[in-house]
Amino acid sequence: MAVAAAPQQKPIAQGGYKTVCHVKRGPAGAVLEIGGFNLWYGASQALFEVCMAVEKGLVTALIGPSGCGKSTLLRSLNRMNDLIDGVRTGGLVKLDGEDIYDSRADVIALRKRMGMVFQKPNPFPMSIFENVVYPLRVDGVNDRATLQEACERALRGAALWEEAKDRLGESALGLSGGQQQRLCIARATAGEPDVLLMDEPCSALDPIATAKIEELMDELSGQYTVIIVTHNMQQAARVSDNTAFMYLGRLIEYGDTEEIFTTPSDPRTQDYITGRFG
Amino acid sequence: MPDSAISKTSAMAPARAPDAVRSRSTSLRARGEPFVWLLGGALAFGVMMIVGFLLLVLWNGIAAFFPKPLAEVRLTDGSKLAGEPTRRERYPVTPEQLGKLASAPRAAILAADGVSGRTLYRIGNYDIYNEDFRWVSDFEVTTVAYPAQLMFVERREWGPLVGSAVAMKLGNEAERPMAAFSAAAVTAAHREALARWERIRHLERGEIGRINHYLEQGRLRVRRAELRHGTASAEAQTARAAAEEQARELQKSYDAFSGEARDLRQRDATHLITFAEIGGKTKTLPLSGVVRMYAANDLHLMDKLAVYVSRWWEFLSDEPREANTEGGVLPAIFGTFAMTLLLVLVVAPFGVVTALYLREYARQGRLVSIVRISVNNLAGVPSIVYGVFGLGFFAYILGGTIDQVFFSERLPSPTFGTGGLLWSSLTLALLTVPVVIVATEEALAAVPRSMREGSLACGASKWQTIRNIVLPRAMPGIMTGIILAMARGAGEVAPLMLVGVVKLAPELPIDGFFPYIHLERSFMHLGFHIFDVGFQSRNSEAGKPMVFVTTVLLVALVAAMNASAIIIRSRLKRKFQGSQF
Repeated sequence: MAVAAAPQQKPIAQGGYKTVCHVKRGPAGAVLEIGGFNLWYGASQALFEVCMAVEKGLVTALIGPSGCGKSTLLRSLNRMNDLIDGVRTGGLVKLDGEDIYDSRADVIALRKRMGMVFQKPNPFPMSIFENVVYPLRVDGVNDRATLQEACERALRGAALWEEAKDRLGESALGLSGGQQQRLCIARATAGEPDVLLMDEPCSALDPIATAKIEELMDELSGQYTVIIVTHNMQQAARVSDNTAFMYLGRLIEYGDTEEIFTTPSDPRTQDYITGRFG
Repeated sequence: MPDSAISKTSAMAPARAPDAVRSRSTSLRARGEPFVWLLGGALAFGVMMIVGFLLLVLWNGIAAFFPKPLAEVRLTDGSKLAGEPTRRERYPVTPEQLGKLASAPRAAILAADGVSGRTLYRIGNYDIYNEDFRWVSDFEVTTVAYPAQLMFVERREWGPLVGSAVAMKLGNEAERPMAAFSAAAVTAAHREALARWERIRHLERGEIGRINHYLEQGRLRVRRAELRHGTASAEAQTARAAAEEQARELQKSYDAFSGEARDLRQRDATHLITFAEIGGKTKTLPLSGVVRMYAANDLHLMDKLAVYVSRWWEFLSDEPREANTEGGVLPAIFGTFAMTLLLVLVVAPFGVVTALYLREYARQGRLVSIVRISVNNLAGVPSIVYGVFGLGFFAYILGGTIDQVFFSERLPSPTFGTGGLLWSSLTLALLTVPVVIVATEEALAAVPRSMREGSLACGASKWQTIRNIVLPRAMPGIMTGIILAMARGAGEVAPLMLVGVVKLAPELPIDGFFPYIHLERSFMHLGFHIFDVGFQSRNSEAGKPMVFVTTVLLVALVAAMNASAIIIRSRLKRKFQGSQF
């Protein structure tokens, strides 16, 4: 079922829930198309018939209460769920028209196109420099000048250059939490991916560090397609162009952030946004 | 069923008067106070046992080499003896002994419940008295004196001599009484004699040993040619001719060396020193036969320290003498070290690779569980079983095959087909590999998931992630496992007794002959040395100091390895696990 590619709004009745595919709005069209995507952890199903198209060059936020499957969905996009025993998937995820769950798909090549930032900063126990250029190193790039250039570009992009330029050789573990998270963003962007996946990137940070990261996301949105999972609805409202609301493994509503936050069509979205549950 | 249970409790509940049952103060039991004391007591007991053991070994080991005074004891029967008082104890006097005593001492002993004290003297002079040690009961003693001229003489043969030096004869000079020599002259003469002795040893063991080695090589070449081409073949003839030619050459240098050694021996036999022991007999021996002599009661602290240091030096740098009860343990230190090194070289890659596969690549199923449980159980198999396995499999099957294929010319004397350094290391590697596997698996499991995910999300393959992220991060744990295995291997004795450790190894596993490292040779080991000196030698009392000193050395070796494990681990930890925030 190539539902995701459908350009018009097309409600699908599915177990009493309405799953909505969003109209393409971005000038460049959709970069990721998800159609009828199901995921099981062993016997229990975590995602039900998720169906959406992620627009190129925009920031898309996934919101919803804990356990609704938004992180699972995000981790399905670069196949990080492959690492978990007993995970099965069904349905389509297409990156630029190619099915990433195809048996011939190259997972490593896929992950090179999808930068990922995790909930907790996870710098490697190496120097700041080596952390940033890690994606290039695994590609076998060893030319010092190329690496230095990539490192500076990525660190500038993550607004960390000024703070870190004099201590590139020091251990990344000596940075503060907020700096570490920006370092992880620099690392995720150093390989120049197409899509940046962010899994609650600010949940372990203090408000000032959070503000910096949000500012950064604004800047990144021009260059990358960003998909961000967040618990913080203000954050979603502030940084994203599109918002998807998920509930109990289903995509309930997906559309313009403004629309979702002002005139949600589903009562559950309304309830969540106004804080009645979640 | 549940219904009735509920109704029962609910029926009983109102019958209780809550205020009467509950008390406001917490009882000692509820606070767990007695258990805390029990646990603390158990810990204290354990710590005390370990500390006590260490103190005992350390004290005995450290004090063993310190020169003791020499007592001259005059006994009630008129005889005299001289020796080092080694230890004292109280013992019940037998009725026969009591019967022979005069009335005054008998009354004193009876007043003390028939118990008397006695002292063990190291009287030395085994060649005269046929005993090294002698118990002297307190009631036998008339006087005890510490004469300054009494000397403690460590000899190369017959153990120590206790007596006073009376005369010395240097070369072709006539024998002169000791008073005619100054202390410096005695020292110089002794030093010269020792240098001569070293030279003789070098000639006979080193040079002539080398000639013998080449002769043996020639014989083996002939044998190999005969085995390969037949006894009457042209190749065998050529080899025989070459060997004879070489033997002629070698015979020339052999004659030169043995001539020099003979001359030195003759010269050595003219440098003599004579001692008078307490019983009035004299003993003349070559000056080079004296390893060390000192007037025990005439030493200042510095002299005593000098003797102490020189004994330690001899212990650490020389070969054993006197059935291992004297001299040094250098071959044993070397053997222990070489074996442990080889053990690590085998066990580290093997254990780490196994654990990596088990933890990272194998599908976690029933088979892997069985393998893992089996590995853990391997650690519990008695070590002697490994020894039997090592002898049967490594030495006899593997080594026997190697001998037949590569060293057929040496048969029937085995090369690899008997116990040796290599087989000992492999046996101990089998014994200790579970330690490394378990430690490595735990270290790998402890690498946070976020690290692996971070690396994989950057587009790294699984192997790149393991090599760049997981292994460095797990390294402290892996190192700990390896060094614990090393420490365990260094201290293990039982299996080694079957697969290669010997009481006295004539050759070190490393020497100047190709291929320089001889893994097939049997070797000496500190742990076995302790067992041998303490329990297998003719004179266990004489070996006692050696047992303690060697124990101190072995404990120090193992402690040093464990300490380095802790240091390496904490250093790596600091490097890889900074604060998260």
